[in-house]
Amino acid sequence: IAQLKDVIIKPDAPSSLLLDKHADYIAAYGSKKDDYVNNIHLKYDNAIGKMDTINVDKAVEFVLSCMNFDGGFGCRPGSESHAGQIYCCTGFLSLTGQLHQLNADLLGWWLCERQLPSGGLNGRPEKLPDVCYSWWVLASLKIIGRIHWIDKAKLRRFILACQDEETGGFADRPGDMVDPFHTLFGVAGLSLLGDEQIKAVNPVLCMPEDVLQRIGLQPDLLS
Amino acid sequence: KEREKKLQIYVAARDACFTKRKDGVFDDEALQLTQQLLSSNPDFATLWNYRREILLHLETVRNQDEVQKIYEAELSFLESCLKVNPKSYGSWHHRGWVSARLPRPDWARELSLCDRCLSLDDRNFHCWDYRRMVVKMSGVPVKQELDFTDRLIGSNFSNYSSWHYRSTLLPLLHPQAPDTPSQCGNPPPSASPQTHFHRVCEEQLLKEYELVQNAFFTDPNDQSAWFYYRWLLGRAERDEMISCVYVSREEERVAVAFSRPVNAQSVGVEWQSVHPHFKNSPVWICSLPPGTISDVANEHNLTVHWTEKHSHRDCALYTGRSESWCRDTATDLELFRSELSVEKTSVLQSELQSVRQLQELEPLNKWCLLTIILLMRALDPLGYEKETLAHFQTLKDVDSMRSAYYSDLCSKFMIENTILKMEYAEVRVFSISDRKLTTLCHLDQLLLVTHINLSSNQLQQLPPQFAMLQCLEVRIGTLFFLLFFINLNSEISTLADLQPLASCPKLKRLDLRGNPITQTTNAEAELAGLLPSVTDLLL
Repeated sequence: IAQLKDVIIKPDAPSSLLLDKHADYIAAYGSKKDDYVNNIHLKYDNAIGKMDTINVDKAVEFVLSCMNFDGGFGCRPGSESHAGQIYCCTGFLSLTGQLHQLNADLLGWWLCERQLPSGGLNGRPEKLPDVCYSWWVLASLKIIGRIHWIDKAKLRRFILACQDEETGGFADRPGDMVDPFHTLFGVAGLSLLGDEQIKAVNPVLCMPEDVLQRIGLQPDLLS
Repeated sequence: KEREKKLQIYVAARDACFTKRKDGVFDDEALQLTQQLLSSNPDFATLWNYRREILLHLETVRNQDEVQKIYEAELSFLESCLKVNPKSYGSWHHRGWVSARLPRPDWARELSLCDRCLSLDDRNFHCWDYRRMVVKMSGVPVKQELDFTDRLIGSNFSNYSSWHYRSTLLPLLHPQAPDTPSQCGNPPPSASPQTHFHRVCEEQLLKEYELVQNAFFTDPNDQSAWFYYRWLLGRAERDEMISCVYVSREEERVAVAFSRPVNAQSVGVEWQSVHPHFKNSPVWICSLPPGTISDVANEHNLTVHWTEKHSHRDCALYTGRSESWCRDTATDLELFRSELSVEKTSVLQSELQSVRQLQELEPLNKWCLLTIILLMRALDPLGYEKETLAHFQTLKDVDSMRSAYYSDLCSKFMIENTILKMEYAEVRVFSISDRKLTTLCHLDQLLLVTHINLSSNQLQQLPPQFAMLQCLEVRIGTLFFLLFFINLNSEISTLADLQPLASCPKLKRLDLRGNPITQTTNAEAELAGLLPSVTDLLL
């Protein structure tokens, strides 16, 4: 019989946002000399505004050929749906003005089914929750206009529980070791959920909205 | 201390590799160094790149037998890497690269590697993707792979990946030919299972229902089978066409609804999307030059061409008539429910009965409830309306995290039913009140609607797509008035909330009494500015 994979949030898990601790953590991380800096996969042409250097129509065709029976996207045509790929593809379709090609209701359903009883989100069925999916899944839902399909309060509780009260930073799940990658996505996820202590973040580009407003960039979102 | 020493060795080896690469060196030592580093860090993509450069160089200076041996050794090395980390993108990619370059590949061995890897973890998508490459390169029959999924699904519980693979294999083996739904013809060119004509022929579909049913009856908590089942119940893609053309003599306007969002380019006459924000829209408006069709004594034949699809639609505006239209109904197009064969109806009926029985045994299982609803939609959306509503309520209690999703889905179904009833009655009134509507959709189907009643619902805003209701005449003020009392979180207090109404040119009367917006200074003037066509404004 299938066991539901999930975590249990202990009663003494952090329940409020420890912003100062996180600021200290990130500041300290940057000063260590021998650490690798995680390179978060950049899917966008770095010089935004140079989209004419690629064949956009062909690219759109390729991305759409990766759409699966469940409305999601995988790495390649025929690959299983995965929240990380879905984020890349929905962001891509937003930047190329092709969001209408999605089946938003079907994909939105698959995405909201990522939420487990603990409140956390996994990346695909029958996997454990991970705080980075608070970004991949949540941002995707925001892009397709269905962020209200997950239980925001429960997700917020899960993300906060992933904090480390001593060192600052966020881990993939409560009790694990923190790292900058999960810290970024924990904070970004909380921002999308509407935390007023954090700047609004743009779901397509994972950058503060005020920065994008300054350069006049407003990618499409479905309503 | 121990760690520091290890780090030093690692860094030295890494720097040595980079130096060698920069100097264009492709010797044995380079192979050794990269092997050493990649064994402990297979995610170091640059080193795999360098290794490939070395191997490519060796191809030019060794004979075929030697190259065969080199690459076989490479495969052996990769196997040891994968044993340690079966989820490294770098390792799997390199293996694919090697297999494709091997002079005499042993695809059977590669397939067997996949079998073993998947028996340890059948959700390893790297392995599945590699398997698909092996299958493609070596021409493994689709039927054989289908049988493989059968075995996995039968024995393992964590099998979403298998069901997914099945969804891509089935249409290849048993495609639904567009004109003859019951025949199983030749495989169409590969396309995603979500796009056109990628359905399964009925005979196989019915067999598949049985297979899935076995799965979810064996383990009702195995979500994969339920996801897959929903796909099976799903509808075929609709034909691409112009679904409605509407002409207004008075406004000298043509409104066109397409079966999907399009991006129209003006040729001759100017086309505008219903809302300036949408470059892609299913509804487009064309304002004809003044005097073109205004004389009621004249008859006009209008034709709208969809050049990309080589299709067109005619609409005749007769003498004495102030408007005209031509529309394929949602009923005829089977938009919300497909025509079922006797056999399929009988199968779905018995499935509904079985899932109902299962639901009684497992009252907290949300998959049962949702699937019952989907089956009822497939069989008789109007007949099962009351039951559907009741099941949605239970579903929201059982799976409260997703209650907003269920509310929206229920709203969608109720809107579909209202459209079907409206078409049956052949009226242009869209009335759906007290149905706890949380969202509006299918607005492209409401192009011809003149009267709308959305009172006593839970709508928080009007979507911009509301502008698709080009024929709307009457007031919708009741909506906001009641909203104010029912849902205090959604007060109509700003002009922005009413923005969508600006695109409804026929709106003459608006009753906003009881809404906070009436209390803002200068409200009347601002509203008059936003909605110039409204002559009757109640504040």
